[in-house]
Amino acid sequence: MTQTLPPTLISRVMLYRVTAALVLLGLWEAAGASGLFFKGVLPSTLLIGKSFLRLMGDTLFWSHFNVTLFEILSGFAIGSTLGIIAGLALGMNRYAGHVLEPVVEYLAATPKVVFLPILLILFGIGVGSKISLAALSCFFPMSLSLAAGVRGIKPMFLRVGQTLNLTLLQRIRMIYLPALVPPISTGLRLGFGIATVGSLLSEIKLSNKGLGHAAMQAYARFDIPTMMAILIVIFALAGIGNMLIGRIVRLPGPHTRHNAN
Amino acid sequence: MSDTPTLRIKNVSKHFETGKGRVTAVDDVSLDIRQGEFISIIGPSGCGKSTLMNMIGGLLTDYEGDIQLDGKKVSGCQPEIGMVFQEESTFPWRTAIENVTFPLEAAGLPKEKRLARAYELLDLVGLSGFENHFPSELSGGMRQRIAIARTLAFQPRILLMDEPFAALDEQTRHLLGDKVVQIQNQLKQTTLLITHNIAEAVQLSDRVLIMTFRPGRIKRVVEINLPRPRSSEMIGSEKFSAYVAEIWADLRQEASKGLKETEAAAAH
Repeated sequence: MTQTLPPTLISRVMLYRVTAALVLLGLWEAAGASGLFFKGVLPSTLLIGKSFLRLMGDTLFWSHFNVTLFEILSGFAIGSTLGIIAGLALGMNRYAGHVLEPVVEYLAATPKVVFLPILLILFGIGVGSKISLAALSCFFPMSLSLAAGVRGIKPMFLRVGQTLNLTLLQRIRMIYLPALVPPISTGLRLGFGIATVGSLLSEIKLSNKGLGHAAMQAYARFDIPTMMAILIVIFALAGIGNMLIGRIVRLPGPHTRHNAN
Repeated sequence: MSDTPTLRIKNVSKHFETGKGRVTAVDDVSLDIRQGEFISIIGPSGCGKSTLMNMIGGLLTDYEGDIQLDGKKVSGCQPEIGMVFQEESTFPWRTAIENVTFPLEAAGLPKEKRLARAYELLDLVGLSGFENHFPSELSGGMRQRIAIARTLAFQPRILLMDEPFAALDEQTRHLLGDKVVQIQNQLKQTTLLITHNIAEAVQLSDRVLIMTFRPGRIKRVVEINLPRPRSSEMIGSEKFSAYVAEIWADLRQEASKGLKETEAAAAH
């Protein structure tokens, strides 16, 4: 979590960021104009900007965008929910943790795209296989981060629940989940990124809809400015999603050492 | 005070199996606590005080003997037995008032009712005006008072406190003692306090139980006949000092036994 900085430092940080962005743009332009690369591989920012504006008014682009957004969000929702449930179960039950967690860890380290053929057979080449790949991708970081989080909860918090004779559901709702907000937030942010990767990968591989498909089509036409503009939209989508999750899923109150369990 | 005991502890023993054999933590302890009474248990580290408290609180259930609350055997945790621990236990994601309403939420009390009671209790522990502060914005003593208010919210038949002020400095501890006396006067709360601080035990209690070092038995019961209401101003008085000296004389033997054994164990 970013710490709060004094206003003078914040303006300085902004200055560095803007400078870095301008330098990058400059380098891009210089590299494109230098002739070192095959013509058109690094189109000028002006061309990309034009393509971007054209895309914004293009209904076909927006239908691709909506498909991708729908895939990411549904995959993310399904994968995160299942990940939270599995993480709680793995963390709360010592035996389940011992038996299953190594398996989950090995699977987590496997690139999920290898499951795409199976998912295609199971769910077809429509949105089903994309959503399931996105869900599968974000399930693992969430469940592992949460299982570790459960084991890190201060035993005293659980003791309070025990003395009040809380039911399992009350303990989960009133103690575990609020105590786990930091790992849940981290898991969601990681998961959103990976769900995006999952959706786009499967769109690029086998699809006739979605931003991944649109980018590949632009590539096939050698319409590099449009491809770049689509990539910018994908970056923005991933970045905004990550930022929103960070803003929404957080503990109330001042963020100090005491809050971190 | 009525004569029928609220809490009856009868011939309670607890053994632990360790790698080095059987250790008796609590040995044949019997005690009756009457309604409204304030009792302190004092003893050296390792005398089984906390084990006894965990048995009464229902956190430990496989013991010998009998523990009854209002004539019913205690066989697990129940909100009628409120517990306050030494360790930090306030929920950092809840404000002071939300911490106090926690047990009432679990019990399904409507929102206005639980807020009304929580406001009263925070006022009682001297924290009105801090309702919307998070624990991280308050001192250790204030957080511990939130924990006490949270435990009192359920109106427990008996309040168990396991060295609630041990982590605090001496001055804060005396002043919090005053607060506990005041709560005691207002609520007539039956309380069992576990402590290793003699002054605290004398300041607060009707009776002080001195426990022996391993196995934990009740060595002696000292009735504290100091007038109520009491305050920390009493601490300088002659009568107070006499009680402290009397208890220390007994406790000293046990504490040195404990120290010898710990040092012997460390030497091996």
